[in-house]
Amino acid sequence: MTKRGAAKRDISLTVNGEVKTVSAYPMERLLDVLREQLGLTGTKEGCGEGECGACSVFMDGALVDSCLVPVLQAQGSSVVTIEGLAADARARAVQDAFLEYGGAQCGICTPGMILAAVHLLNAKSAPTMDDIREGLAGNLCRCTGYVQILEAVAAAAAKRGAAR
Amino acid sequence: MRSDPAEFNLVAPSDLQSALALMTDEGERWMPIAGGTDLMVQYAAGALRARRLMSIAGLAELRRINVAADEIQIGAGSTYTDLRRHETIAHEFPMLAQAAGWVGGIANQNRGTIGGNIVNASPAGDSLPSLLAYGAELILVSLNGERRVPYTTFHTGYKKIQLASNELIRAVCLPRRFIGYVQHARKVGTRNAQAVSKIALAALAQVDGGIVRDVRIALGSVAPVPMRLAETERILTGNLLDDSVVALAAKTAASEVKPIDDIRSTARYRAAVVGNLVVEFLERLRAEPAATEARNEALARWNALSADAAEGEILACCGSRAWARAMAARRPLADESALVGASDEICAGLRDADWLEAFRAHPRVGEKKAEGSASQQSAAWSAQEQSSAAAAGAESKAALAEGNREYERRFGRIFIVCAAGKTSGEILAILQKRLQNDDRSELREAVEQQRQIMQLRLRKWLRA
Repeated sequence: MTKRGAAKRDISLTVNGEVKTVSAYPMERLLDVLREQLGLTGTKEGCGEGECGACSVFMDGALVDSCLVPVLQAQGSSVVTIEGLAADARARAVQDAFLEYGGAQCGICTPGMILAAVHLLNAKSAPTMDDIREGLAGNLCRCTGYVQILEAVAAAAAKRGAAR
Repeated sequence: MRSDPAEFNLVAPSDLQSALALMTDEGERWMPIAGGTDLMVQYAAGALRARRLMSIAGLAELRRINVAADEIQIGAGSTYTDLRRHETIAHEFPMLAQAAGWVGGIANQNRGTIGGNIVNASPAGDSLPSLLAYGAELILVSLNGERRVPYTTFHTGYKKIQLASNELIRAVCLPRRFIGYVQHARKVGTRNAQAVSKIALAALAQVDGGIVRDVRIALGSVAPVPMRLAETERILTGNLLDDSVVALAAKTAASEVKPIDDIRSTARYRAAVVGNLVVEFLERLRAEPAATEARNEALARWNALSADAAEGEILACCGSRAWARAMAARRPLADESALVGASDEICAGLRDADWLEAFRAHPRVGEKKAEGSASQQSAAWSAQEQSSAAAAGAESKAALAEGNREYERRFGRIFIVCAAGKTSGEILAILQKRLQNDDRSELREAVEQQRQIMQLRLRKWLRA
């Protein structure tokens, strides 16, 4: 049998502020590397094809679906997962609002939802409901029916506005 | 079944030259991968055939957007987010910015690229209709250098493109000539985000005084490749958007597309919606209110003229002196619809001799000089109205001249047709059909054509 693939190689990237070097096939999904090699299981796999947003992470500040990123493309980049946002005030406000408004049930979509919401609020401090809908359009939830999630993000945005 | 990463290779050349060098590699091709929003989906499904991949996501040479005086060059590696955020694109090419916002969710827009959308060549690609409508050109690059190709011919069939195996798209060029155009983009899908479109439309037009000067309509998901509605555009060009033109355009559009039944929709539904989308676009054109006030001012000036001066000026719209005198007597007229309404009422009372006088103020179709007296303005309008017909070759011009002679022998007067937007071939066909009419019904037909010409001219006159 001819060898067509690649050997594993060392790939370095910054994850939640720390430089990590992993040994991986270049086409391994960033999602799998995060979960299986780095133990960051807050990033979920839903559809595995970029439709549901459960695997959302920030890569160099941009919201991306980690299931669609070959890990070689993350080499040298800075990745932030839901665990990396634990201490972030904005993420905490969103998380609190999700609890208060019933925006989380089974929890599979929740990390991605929170990342998408934080990404939106980073760009727009006073989003309209349409902005929120658009910002979260790439994230699917099978439990809540979305209304509570949208309300939670709106409440978090309003709270931040009021705190200023 | 999911792919095994051990069976794939992926490399990341550090610059464009190295990437192009890899593409001339002997043996199995290195498949370029940018944002992975299509290829990684195939990979997840175990359906990615390529085993050697080359990342071009990080190449700075592919991600620049350069704004030159006459065009914008968008690097093929620009993401949808890049497109949405770019000032010039948002301002001058809003349909492209809007289409970029249709792609998946924000996470997909942050990764997916315009070059990827083009080479993936799905008939449903969100950005493709707008590229077609804007008359895009592509700059293709290989180690041998660059070549520039029109986007129109880039897609040669379902998922087939004109890209050599050693080439990459470097940039997408859009001409900066659409300022002042009304632009309208619309996607129809099961939901706004994350849904492959059933139909997508990108349409723009320059409307001058209610007359469509230039119109470009492109659609996705209605044929194996994104397509322009050439026939519909032709019907609209040079015409006023009255109800009959809108209805004809919608009908033509629905019959011009070649949709299929598939998992997302049926051919019949798609054709019907294409007609509706064209109507929606044309309604938007009609609603452009900007020029209304200027027209009312032009009318107020004419209202204030002496009777003789008013009569002489409006004679350019119709060569019948009885009509012009009656129009001047109806002053003051408040607005455009009052003007056109008054004209229609007066027309209803004109005698045959008045109509014949009006006909004589027109040159024959295909000629320049009228038999009767015609103002400079009237002659200029005649030339405009016949511009599509004038573009004909010598052979059809000769056929038209022969048709004119036959018509005049048969009916004893010049053949009158509202020529705006019609080609010489169409005019010839109409002429031949009307030669079959009896005298009375042919006069009625000619009068109706004259009335249409007058409506167009009255509206143009207010906008002169």
